[in-house]
Amino acid sequence: MTEEKKPEEKKKRKTATEAASKIGPMVKATIGGTVQAREEGKPIAYSFICCCYDEIIRAMDIVPVWTENYAGVCGAKRDAQRFLERAEAENFSRSLCTYALCGLGFDAWREELGEMPPEPPWGGQARPDMMLGSGQMLCDPRNKWYQAAQHYMPDIPVYDAGAPWPPYEDDYDYREVQDYYVKYIVEELKGLVKFLEKHTGRKMDWDRLSELVDLADRTWNLIWETYELRRAVPTPMGTGDAMNTMVPMVFMMGTQEAYDFYQELNDELKHKIANKEGVIPDEKYRLIWGGGLPSWFALSDFNYFNSKGAVFPVEVTYRMVEAIYHFDIDLSKITDPLEHIAWRWVKFWTYWYDKAKKRLGSHPDVERLIQYIEDYKIDGIVMHEAFSCRSWHVGLIWQLNLLKKVYKDIPSLILESDIVDISSYNEADTRARIDTFIDTLEAVKSQGR
Amino acid sequence: MPEEAAGKGLAVADRYYQDYGSRARELKRQGKKILGYLCAFVPVEIITAAGFIPFRIKGDVNEPITKADTEMETIVCPLVRSCFDMSLKGSYEFLDGIVIPHACDSICRTYDVWKYSLNLPYSHLINMPHGTGKPSLDFYQALLGTFRTSLSKFAGVEISDRELIQAIKLHNQNRAKVRELYGLRKASPPLISGTEVAKVLIASVSIPVEESIKMLGDVIEEVRQRGGVPARKSARIMVVGAQVDSIAFIKLIEDSGAWVVADDLCPGAREFFPDVTVADPIEGIAERYLRKVKCGRTYREMEGNYEEYLEDRFGHMSRMIKDFNVDGVVLYIYKYCDPFGFEVPQIKSYIESKGTPVLYLEDEYSMSTIGRLRTRIQAFLELLGSK
Repeated sequence: MTEEKKPEEKKKRKTATEAASKIGPMVKATIGGTVQAREEGKPIAYSFICCCYDEIIRAMDIVPVWTENYAGVCGAKRDAQRFLERAEAENFSRSLCTYALCGLGFDAWREELGEMPPEPPWGGQARPDMMLGSGQMLCDPRNKWYQAAQHYMPDIPVYDAGAPWPPYEDDYDYREVQDYYVKYIVEELKGLVKFLEKHTGRKMDWDRLSELVDLADRTWNLIWETYELRRAVPTPMGTGDAMNTMVPMVFMMGTQEAYDFYQELNDELKHKIANKEGVIPDEKYRLIWGGGLPSWFALSDFNYFNSKGAVFPVEVTYRMVEAIYHFDIDLSKITDPLEHIAWRWVKFWTYWYDKAKKRLGSHPDVERLIQYIEDYKIDGIVMHEAFSCRSWHVGLIWQLNLLKKVYKDIPSLILESDIVDISSYNEADTRARIDTFIDTLEAVKSQGR
Repeated sequence: MPEEAAGKGLAVADRYYQDYGSRARELKRQGKKILGYLCAFVPVEIITAAGFIPFRIKGDVNEPITKADTEMETIVCPLVRSCFDMSLKGSYEFLDGIVIPHACDSICRTYDVWKYSLNLPYSHLINMPHGTGKPSLDFYQALLGTFRTSLSKFAGVEISDRELIQAIKLHNQNRAKVRELYGLRKASPPLISGTEVAKVLIASVSIPVEESIKMLGDVIEEVRQRGGVPARKSARIMVVGAQVDSIAFIKLIEDSGAWVVADDLCPGAREFFPDVTVADPIEGIAERYLRKVKCGRTYREMEGNYEEYLEDRFGHMSRMIKDFNVDGVVLYIYKYCDPFGFEVPQIKSYIESKGTPVLYLEDEYSMSTIGRLRTRIQAFLELLGSK
């Protein structure tokens, strides 16, 4: 029985920065805070990252339960299997998003018991008052997961906010359609505000929302500037740490705490650079994490790369911001907060489109890789294909093929496992593949290519 | 349609099913332009109105997926991978372009892979919203306007309202024929087998709509004249799932001793039952695809209580169960199918709550995996027989 399964022992990962080491306790406190908020009767919403609504829920003092985050925590603590198995017993396919399966398994179990499942990681996932989904190109679970969760919580309302962005096309320029995309997102966000007002009995404080939107703008810029510091040789922070430092970016956007976190990180990185203090003292290979979410239960693989002389100064994953002063519109002139959010969203997703148009046969995703390869002096690419997630893990092979075609052949490795399901992971095999990849990097380097 | 060469009715359907794409290839040789598309969410009316022939790209359960794996991850829905594999292997070399809808992650997230790998003269993604509220409908209409303009540019002619209305009428006529065909399955025993219906519908999405109307009419006439299929005491089964573009699974059920008399599939009732209401053509098309075609890819907003919500989402299934006197439902879902995979517990419990047994099967879209389902189907039929 699932109840009898105990978490396997988890190895603690060594972080390079002080900032990254603070994240674990911060997440633990946040999750504990949601359980406490439930007891105190504060409004709680199941929420997804990257859905345009961060500042909205913050402005209304709604407590978000980041369900992807909780599943990731279960995965990182190597205690997700019992929830995955519960979901499977409910007839959910094991091939579906394992964040969702972990969350649904947890919900089914909690609702059956009327209390948290036994020994829930970090206090458990609090029962929500509402669930906020999203319809966009990012992933289907954003509009299916919470709908499926209603099977166990039929009394909990769901709002699904449409937040698409224009695709990259040859037959028209995205600027021809961006206005109606923004208009749609604004309408959907207005609907969300109404929904939240109805279910919380609170009114939106529009001035406060504007302040938080401005704070988020400043946080975006600060994150971008901070992450750019990692171009330094030796790099002061790697992707292993970035998989921690992304927490304030995606789970705390629109809060002063997030801004302060990145200010501290910025100071720390500058200090390290001044002292030539890198992730490892002798960098042999600089790599990019070119796509895919990490295996949360195997973040120590980043340390393994480090032990071979490899560092990751940059990653595509969870770099969910650009400096907004790089956009081709002046966001400060858009005073309506919902419209502001919508434009920022559309401009973020279309940011690489113009660059792609300038290189024959290229594509925005590949242009982004090229820019990072050049800016961060990259020797090789590592990606991860998580079997259960089609949103971030489809198109990786094609991107590498296209990169080779329009730019150059660069050593690459696609690791295969999952985000949460540890049964898909084989440490010996993974490390053998890393060893082979390192040999390739060495061979390429010794040939002077 | 070259009748002398192809025969009539079921023979035509069989020919076009067996040699899928043969008619499109023939028309291409005659100078027609063919646009390939995936899924039931591409508004074929607009393609027809532009003077192109819409051609549904299908996979092949008999063909191992090989070439696709060099460009597309194996975590994509196996049906989509098979479609892509067949395209890479040259089965649809006659295509002038592709149109792909934002249907599900497996389709939408592979759009660039399709576009860059096939490198056809035309490609377009219809970024259909998930929601069905007024803002979503307005947004979808704007998207359809962009598609219309884009296709007009490619065709070199403007797509007028008149042509659009004409195309809508043709496709509605085609859908009416399909509904008429389904009517023949209500008899006991049904006048036409599920395998035959699947074959006819799959063939119909590979030929011009005018020819499909003719073929369906001929099939209906032929079936009415030939009388019923052999009478035997058999369970009446409904199949619910995503896209089933092969007769293999339906035939497996019927070879096991049941009749497949109804479905909620594509191609099938889900795709063919709802019409476009002709008033404002773009508004009518948007309304049909976003609100009338009930598919897991679309997020229907909850109004009323949860029971009413389930009725709104799945009520058409229970009505079909009643109308077609269904004894049991087979819920047939592909691995890696997000829109339907997340709905399994809800669909299963909803249908069972109405008193109809459900068999849930997960499959991987290949003959070898389909064959392995035989035992479970037989056990399910035995269970139904004992009731």
